[in-house]
Amino acid sequence: MKPLDRKLLRDLWRLKWQMMAIALLIACGVSVAVMSFSAQRALMDAQAAFYSDTRFADAFAQTKRAPISRLRDLTGIDGVTAADVRILEAGLMNVPGLSRPVVARLISLPENEDHALNRVRLTRGRMPEPRRIDEAVALKAFMDAAGVKLGDRLTAVVQGRAFTFTVVGAVLSPEYVYVPAPESFMPDDAHQAVLWAPRPAVERAAGMDGAFNTVALKLAPGASVPAVLADVDRILAPYGGRAAYAREDQASHAFLAAELKELSTSASILPPIFLIIAAGLVHLTVSRLVDAEREQIGLLKAFGYRDGEAAAPYLRMAAAIGLLGALAGGLVGGALGAAIVDQYREYFRFPVLAVRFHGLAFAGASAVGVMATLAGSLAAVRRAAALSPAVAMQPLRPATYRAGPLDRLIRGPAVDQATRVIIRNLERFPVRGLLATLGLAASLNLLVGTQFLFDSLDKVVDQAYYRTQRWSESISFAEARSIVALGEISRLPGAFAAEPVRVVAARLKANGRAELTRVVGLEPDGVLDRPLDDHDRRAPFKGRGLVVSEALADRLGLRPGDSVRVEVIDGRGPAAVLPITGLARDYSGFSAYMDRRRLNDLMGEGDLASGAHLQVAEDRRADFYRAIARTPQIVGSSSRDETVANWRRAMAEAFRVTVSFYVGFAGAIAFGVAYNTSRIALSERARDLATLRVLGFGQGECAYILVGELAVLALVAIPLGLLGGQALAHGLVAAYSRDEVRLPPIIGARSYGISLLAYLTAVTGAGVLVARRIWSFDLVSVLKTRD
Amino acid sequence: MIEAALDVRDLAKVYSTSAGDVHALRGVDLKIVHGETLVLLGPSGSGKSTLLNILGGLDRASSGSARFQDLELTQASDRELTRYRRASVGFIFQFFNLVPSLTARENVALITEIARDPMTPEDALARVGLSDRLDHFPAQLSGGQQQRVAVARAIAKRPRLLLCDEPTGSLDSESGVRVLEAIAEVTRDVGATTMIVSHNADIAGMADRVIRFRDGRITEVERNRNKRAPREMTW
Repeated sequence: MKPLDRKLLRDLWRLKWQMMAIALLIACGVSVAVMSFSAQRALMDAQAAFYSDTRFADAFAQTKRAPISRLRDLTGIDGVTAADVRILEAGLMNVPGLSRPVVARLISLPENEDHALNRVRLTRGRMPEPRRIDEAVALKAFMDAAGVKLGDRLTAVVQGRAFTFTVVGAVLSPEYVYVPAPESFMPDDAHQAVLWAPRPAVERAAGMDGAFNTVALKLAPGASVPAVLADVDRILAPYGGRAAYAREDQASHAFLAAELKELSTSASILPPIFLIIAAGLVHLTVSRLVDAEREQIGLLKAFGYRDGEAAAPYLRMAAAIGLLGALAGGLVGGALGAAIVDQYREYFRFPVLAVRFHGLAFAGASAVGVMATLAGSLAAVRRAAALSPAVAMQPLRPATYRAGPLDRLIRGPAVDQATRVIIRNLERFPVRGLLATLGLAASLNLLVGTQFLFDSLDKVVDQAYYRTQRWSESISFAEARSIVALGEISRLPGAFAAEPVRVVAARLKANGRAELTRVVGLEPDGVLDRPLDDHDRRAPFKGRGLVVSEALADRLGLRPGDSVRVEVIDGRGPAAVLPITGLARDYSGFSAYMDRRRLNDLMGEGDLASGAHLQVAEDRRADFYRAIARTPQIVGSSSRDETVANWRRAMAEAFRVTVSFYVGFAGAIAFGVAYNTSRIALSERARDLATLRVLGFGQGECAYILVGELAVLALVAIPLGLLGGQALAHGLVAAYSRDEVRLPPIIGARSYGISLLAYLTAVTGAGVLVARRIWSFDLVSVLKTRD
Repeated sequence: MIEAALDVRDLAKVYSTSAGDVHALRGVDLKIVHGETLVLLGPSGSGKSTLLNILGGLDRASSGSARFQDLELTQASDRELTRYRRASVGFIFQFFNLVPSLTARENVALITEIARDPMTPEDALARVGLSDRLDHFPAQLSGGQQQRVAVARAIAKRPRLLLCDEPTGSLDSESGVRVLEAIAEVTRDVGATTMIVSHNADIAGMADRVIRFRDGRITEVERNRNKRAPREMTW
């Protein structure tokens, strides 16, 4: 081994903690990239395999009731390679052990499995006998969550008819990889049953002999999706067809796609922050090393080493830090990726969801990591190369200080000399101070910017379930019914308030844009559901005017006073141009609200309701649930308390892992920056501090001078970090918001508190670790050393 | 009987190294009288600096006793030694050891702030002839001036004991003389007991006693009957 390499190794060893603190940041950056891309690869592989295995459709449509003979027309559409028509009916079902009735979707199994699309995959038991009308298979997620076992006998009420069946198998389905609950986008697996039974059984239960109401289509590669969807709409129009949609809008697929996009977002936002800070720290550390070793560098050159040879060890040192960090990042990232995939298994039901390691992401991130450290060292390396042997050999003069602008602050006897030392050092090394401050601010920024997720979700829940919607139970009918039925509903056990709701699916068109959404007809003076404006006041209905959510208005480029074309998809499918009379502030979904009676006028079907919102006394809810399960017209039910509880549980699960990563990463930044800054200060000031010790200063007084500088930087970084955190929260809101939920950029006191606590803990820890060295100073050596 | 400022008895210091034990001091006995100026001479490794370090409360003896008034230095805790250095000892180093980020005045104030009955920094600097350099940073001063700031810093607290380790070691003759003059004058004014460690036998002229060291032992104690002012010495 060459002597210079030996020197490099010894320097690395001597500075090991500083090097490791920087490598830690590289490791964080690389691990986020590896984690995100590996988890993404795992999901995409599982998705691709499952979709192809089960022939997951490319397009979907629902209709009221169409004869099976129309299948030929659907298959004949240009670009369609296969079409599968089925019956899908919803109903309620009582499951022993659950107080609230379960929403059951009953789907017919294809008679010819070979041509079928969206095939189910059996994981336990067997498929029903094709001729049996009392057997069904159920979604495995539902069975697991609701405690339903093979052989259990259940009864679902569909279209007013009871369908009693034995569960003979548990299945997975590409259409239900992820099952969001109604009125929410979080899963509620126990109350979301999907059942598949042989066609004769479903025909009988739904009264759909020789008919179908749902279509799945497989398209040829390169087929025009809009053209196919238009053809499907045309063919199904006479049969109550509702807008056909592509795979992108299929609920389960869309959720999965959003998750995949989020992983890309994480991988592109976070690593650069870490790498930039690491580069800054490499710059500070290697610069200091070159300064401290200028005599050695000069000596090497005096002996005949070329500039490059004398400077190369510093470049190699930077590369070593980068490599070390990259390797650690690969390991940690792989493990974190596996942990995320583990968590995904609870939400995304695939037959196989295997852990993957994204080698290319690792290689790429590592290369960028090493380049970042090399770039950080460049200025110092060039200085080492440019150092003339003569200059390097000259005796060192005391570091040059002069009175700077801050001297005005420290004039007068009130400021002690130790504080003066701190302030002059800050003045002397402004770039270093700036870099350290920015690094520290970035860590706080990351803390605040991610802690906000909790506050934000609280706000979403509060706004949706406690301000806008104030019902405890919501039910929906199979068909819109006369308002007269409301009398019956309000007499359900425990119900002490009830308001009718009319919901229709519609396409809203304006400014050349279109959005498929639902128009919710509410009572103008109702209290159980009322859209609120941006000041939390009721947004009133005016005539035929629509109140639309701000997000929908944004999407369509609408403002109050504008008009929008509303094409209703349900019923006779009327269309009208309606004015926008108000905007509603809500954070989930795209909604349009109007006066229920005006909506009914538009539909031309009389005074109807498609469901109702109710307040039900808490102690009577079990009775209430039993009663609605016996009421054939009621096919959907949701409970505010359960929805909120589910939401909170799922969010806590999902964010616990993510946010603890962030807290760990942010801690790593704060610690890394604080530790390196203090170590550099210590290496520069060791002699001064030891002198002060000799002169009678206590260890604590010396520690004050050493970490005082860090404390000032850390304090200056706080407002920057808090402001930056708000900016990051806004950025993350944009990056993480989905159609289903838009996170408001709200940061509460709790988030600020937790963030500051974590930040100060990391900074203080680093400061204490470095200051401790003052206690082991060798006071004798200082008398004899020059520097 | 004259009161001893420092009473050293059978003081020994052994450093354990991988190559074996090194006996830096092998039983030193010395009584130093209040107000006395001692010059300690001897080759490198003879033990003179080790003695200075132990008497300054920077290092601990392996055995024996070194007593300053009521304080037994060999038994004192870290905290007691810090208090001792803070209250009673002034140090002057070969390489000045000024804090580069503080001006001359502030370097002195560093000590006067923590001392019990100090003179003002301006007074201390006037005594070493630097009244016109109060607000200069070390980098703006010559080596001799820096050392005189160090002298001012050392005597500003009116120390009982002034310890100087090669104070002229990195200065030219002219600057060295000025520094020694400053030391001589101000120690006379504040009445400090002064110990100067040096390689330079020529400065022995300013001592009351000259102590010679070899191999960790005192080989000769010479009373200087012809004490001279630094200005009269050359090297």
